[in-house]
Amino acid sequence: MKKMKNSIYAVAFAILFLSACKNDAKQAESNDVNSKEIQADATTQKSDLTSAIIDGYMVLKNALVNEDSEKAAEGGKMMLTAFSNFEMAKLTEAQHTKYMEIAESAQEHAEHIVKNPIDHQREHFEDLSKDVNDIIALVGTDKTLYQDFCPMASNNKGAIWLSETEEINNPYFGSKMLKCGSVQKQIN
Amino acid sequence: MSLFKKAILLLLIAVVGIQFMPTARNQSNEVLETDFLITFTAPNNVRNLLKTSCYDCHSNNTNYPWYDKIQPVSWLLENHIKEGKKQLNFSEFGIYSKRRQKSKLKSIINQIEEDEMPLWSYKLIHKDAKLSEKNKELLAKWFIQLRDSLP
Repeated sequence: MKKMKNSIYAVAFAILFLSACKNDAKQAESNDVNSKEIQADATTQKSDLTSAIIDGYMVLKNALVNEDSEKAAEGGKMMLTAFSNFEMAKLTEAQHTKYMEIAESAQEHAEHIVKNPIDHQREHFEDLSKDVNDIIALVGTDKTLYQDFCPMASNNKGAIWLSETEEINNPYFGSKMLKCGSVQKQIN
Repeated sequence: MSLFKKAILLLLIAVVGIQFMPTARNQSNEVLETDFLITFTAPNNVRNLLKTSCYDCHSNNTNYPWYDKIQPVSWLLENHIKEGKKQLNFSEFGIYSKRRQKSKLKSIINQIEEDEMPLWSYKLIHKDAKLSEKNKELLAKWFIQLRDSLP
């Protein structure tokens, strides 16, 4: 009886040990996936999957430049439609999980932009810009875009936005500081 | 019966009638693993402030006032809590993606600093939920620290 108990312990121990090894292997694998993703960021893939999202974003961005809260809400609505029409089936499995996470956050920001005054819209535009930027890094775009940076936005912490023109037009401050900011990166 | 009396009677019937409107109560004895205060370690003063000023509408467990049983108050509260939890549920904070956690922390900081939260209508009755300037600063500072510590 005691012998049997011992062998059960031995088997249990072996299973535990093996499954621990397996986890390690899995982790190494997922690390690999991460590093691949970062490499892909360096050159943006050509894809038209994100076009509608970017179109909505630009309507929103330009409305904020022009201090037009109503038009900004319209841009937010366009983005919500674009997200619900997004063809997720065309993503790879690895892209899919990451996309879901970013899209969930982006949609939440867009919802706030649809129903709030301009100050609050700009607050959510900050994070939304990050989300859209990350979606482009993940999925790609066939548009030529500029990633701009304003050091004074977000209470002087600085914030990025995306633009379809090389010329700086600041959506965070509008006419107050229209030219504040610089191009950080050109996409495509 | 005069028209006035009829109107009063009708109103009375309506007020009594709506008392039977069912409402869902937001109460749970279980503290989820995903609770904000389990996901992150907070000092006691922060914990207490969150529980008295935020958790009634932003968690799965509301500490109801006595008048909650009266309609249309309970219906109003139910909607407040539903909307509050949709925007931010401390009981489920641990399930949020890191991205969402960070953006929620940012919104929390802004809401506190801009005096948007707790809602004025809530503070009207819950005097203890009102945040003093000192406590506002304390909370904002702690939340900023937490946000900046997240990768």
